[in-house]
Amino acid sequence: MNRRTILTLLFTYSILYPACAQEKATKTIGLREVYIEGGRYKKSAEGAMSIDVLTSDSLQKYQAGSLMQTLSRLPGVNTIGIGASQSKPQIRGLGFNRVATVENGIKHEGQQWGLDHGLEIDQYSIGTAEIIKGASSFMYGSDAIGGVIRLSSPAELQENGLKGHINLFNRSNNGTYGGSLQLQGKNGNWFFGGGVTHLGYADYRVPTDIVYVYNYAVRLKDRQVRNTAGQETSFQLRGGYVSDRFSSIFYLSNYHTKIGFFANAHGLEPRGVDTVLYDCSDRDILYPSQHVNHFKLISRNYIAQDAHKIWMDLGYQRNYRQEFNNYTAHGYMPPVYPQDMNIPMNLERLYDKEIYHMTLKDEFALATHRLTIGGNVEYQRNNIDGWSFLIPSYRQKALGVFIYDQYPINEQTTLYGALRYDHSNIHSSPYQDWFASKLENNQSAHILRADELHRSFNSLVWSLGATRQMGSWEAKLNVGKSFRAPIAQELAANGVNYHYFSYEKGNPSLSPEQSYQMDLSVARRTGNTYIAFTPFFNYFSNYIYLNPTSGYDQYYGAGNQIFEYSQSKVRRYGAELKVEYRPLTHWKIELLGEYIRSEQLSGSKKGYTLPFSPAPSLVLDLSWSPKSSTYFKEPYLSLDSKWTASQKHIVPPEEKTKGYQILNFRAGTQLILGKSALQLRLQVQNIFNTRYMDHTSFYRLISLPEQGRNIILSVGIPFGTQNRT
Amino acid sequence: MIKINIHMQTLKKYALMAIIAASTIACKKDKENIDTEKPTIDISAGTAFPKQCSQIRRGSSFTFRAKLSDNVALGSYSIDVHHNFDHHSHSTEVEECTLEPIKKPIKPFVLVKSVNIPGQPQQYDAQFQIDVPADVDPGNYHFMIQVTDQSGWSIQRGISVRITE
Repeated sequence: MNRRTILTLLFTYSILYPACAQEKATKTIGLREVYIEGGRYKKSAEGAMSIDVLTSDSLQKYQAGSLMQTLSRLPGVNTIGIGASQSKPQIRGLGFNRVATVENGIKHEGQQWGLDHGLEIDQYSIGTAEIIKGASSFMYGSDAIGGVIRLSSPAELQENGLKGHINLFNRSNNGTYGGSLQLQGKNGNWFFGGGVTHLGYADYRVPTDIVYVYNYAVRLKDRQVRNTAGQETSFQLRGGYVSDRFSSIFYLSNYHTKIGFFANAHGLEPRGVDTVLYDCSDRDILYPSQHVNHFKLISRNYIAQDAHKIWMDLGYQRNYRQEFNNYTAHGYMPPVYPQDMNIPMNLERLYDKEIYHMTLKDEFALATHRLTIGGNVEYQRNNIDGWSFLIPSYRQKALGVFIYDQYPINEQTTLYGALRYDHSNIHSSPYQDWFASKLENNQSAHILRADELHRSFNSLVWSLGATRQMGSWEAKLNVGKSFRAPIAQELAANGVNYHYFSYEKGNPSLSPEQSYQMDLSVARRTGNTYIAFTPFFNYFSNYIYLNPTSGYDQYYGAGNQIFEYSQSKVRRYGAELKVEYRPLTHWKIELLGEYIRSEQLSGSKKGYTLPFSPAPSLVLDLSWSPKSSTYFKEPYLSLDSKWTASQKHIVPPEEKTKGYQILNFRAGTQLILGKSALQLRLQVQNIFNTRYMDHTSFYRLISLPEQGRNIILSVGIPFGTQNRT
Repeated sequence: MIKINIHMQTLKKYALMAIIAASTIACKKDKENIDTEKPTIDISAGTAFPKQCSQIRRGSSFTFRAKLSDNVALGSYSIDVHHNFDHHSHSTEVEECTLEPIKKPIKPFVLVKSVNIPGQPQQYDAQFQIDVPADVDPGNYHFMIQVTDQSGWSIQRGISVRITE
């Protein structure tokens, strides 16, 4: 499947379907249908945006190594991944700090900028995942410039009772064993819920014996990626009081992960390791490794009076990340770690971030307008430690005020408008090397890597949208301006990036990114067909980009190539296509396509694309869900084939990536045993153990193929007083 | 039926337009002239130094020589010499050199040097004189050469050398 074919296909659809029309477009994802009325978002500020919804049932059906890998089946959603279990969201080609992940109303804050930093959220604790494609800065402020992943805990029970399920799962590729217990109860207006998940996995397998890490040949034992084993433990607790007039809910969660990095590809250059030590067990986690703990406490409240509904959300998060490695001197660091250092010898880097968040808003009706006025404040404190430096400690304050208007003109047409003002300031601390470097004049000095920095940013953004329904058609149009304030990494980084083998240099004079976008969504639902086409266009007047320069730095960068943050004009466009067709009662054909093209229009990389540009892809899925029988309820079988085109649009230091095709199989059923029903699911991902590279995978840079065949088995055991089959 | 026919005709017309539009965009893309090639480091010439498993006597001087080239314009090069007493061996060369037993560094030789290549040439004969002090630890070392071009593409070579007494 080449790019031109996909493009033609998308273009054809775009012109074929006139931009008008529609009535209650029902969306459905997953086999056990959960119809999401198009009207669901009619009264929300995001009504004019293109939104996909996945329920926990679908999340389990498509379960992959991480939450984002599970979501990435949706067109327009990709992951920037590192290995089998760490990945972060990418929406329409934008990722890192350009996608906001919001959990229970509060923006999830970790160290999103890091290539090797996954999303610290337990995928088994999610009730609903919504993906808002397109800039949503007007709702969530900076970071939502590329889109939003909005996660919610499972909805409370409809009736009084106590209900839960145990989910046990196993993935063959990296020998994952895990279990999750989810529980919830309700008594009148009071409810509670919670869960515990634990999983462990070994080094993952790839279909190759040798990997060439920047020309250095690394032999893999048993085709396993050395030292990528890990563990994950998390728990959640929530509870509160809910009524129409008043609600107060708290969410408490803690996520902990411990995972190794591919030992041959971490550091200043590819490294040989002691294979006797590293290969004696595929489950041990040796150096380099990372330990991350994410704690979160959220309180969501509302009070409804007359025409007003006043919300208050409070949040506290702490992201504690430690990166361990054997001390490796580089540049002018002493060859042996000094005894008198306060920093532990194996602590390469540490980031300790605390975030306080508050949102206050009032939703009310004024004539036929539905208005929301509100504001939010956020305070972040980020401390660092470790013998290696990349970004300084900083404090950051942000304030935003907004107004949304949702104005139904008639039954078919609704207009949306939003205006938002943001102010933020960042104060980063100076940092000086703990060791002396030899300068050009033969003198020795502890060089200053980061100067103290104070910056403040102001932004005014707006958004205008419209939805129109006519017959079976629904059209949505949204235009707007978005922004993103530069982050500490972009302003003040000054150190070696151990994954890129590069020296990263911040630029303290960066201005906030300004982006203009237009999103269109045209959808149609008839008896047995659903079709949705969602093209977009986006222009950045000053996209912040890590530019690989032609220079090397012998002091700060220990002789590595200088990658410097700079800004350029960028144009992006693309589209997603989603078709569901039911030729017969028990059969469904699904087609999911995506295309994205980015181009830098100015600066030193003029004419180049942006890094990690996803290649065009198309998923064709054929599902069969036979009738339930006495013992098997809601059984399903599905085969999906994913074609990904080659990615020839690259920017240094990327490599062109070849196209590939992979086949996945899924099957499942509820097995009726007396009064209860076991939920059995099977997946075979990459059936033919195809060797392929994913252009948006971090390990693409070192030519490490993606995971080979992976058989995923899960058993869900429900229990409780509400559980009836 | 007529309505369907009209619809079909419109469909065909639009499909054709779409194909034309798509191919126009595709063609436009092909014309863009951006550099997607990495520079190269050539150490095959007889005068090139050091080569894989070269020996260098401490207290002496030697000249690093390599032939650098790029399809458009070279940027700069960097050399980095560090010890391999821990056998971390990330040599990019096929030939393996004999390694001394693992040992602790006392005063290892360290050199980090970056040089801008003047005039943005396509070919450049890099030459750089390196003095090895007489008091550095002898043993296995790595000699890393990295080269960039003006577009920011880079390439590296890792050569194993040995500093002798």
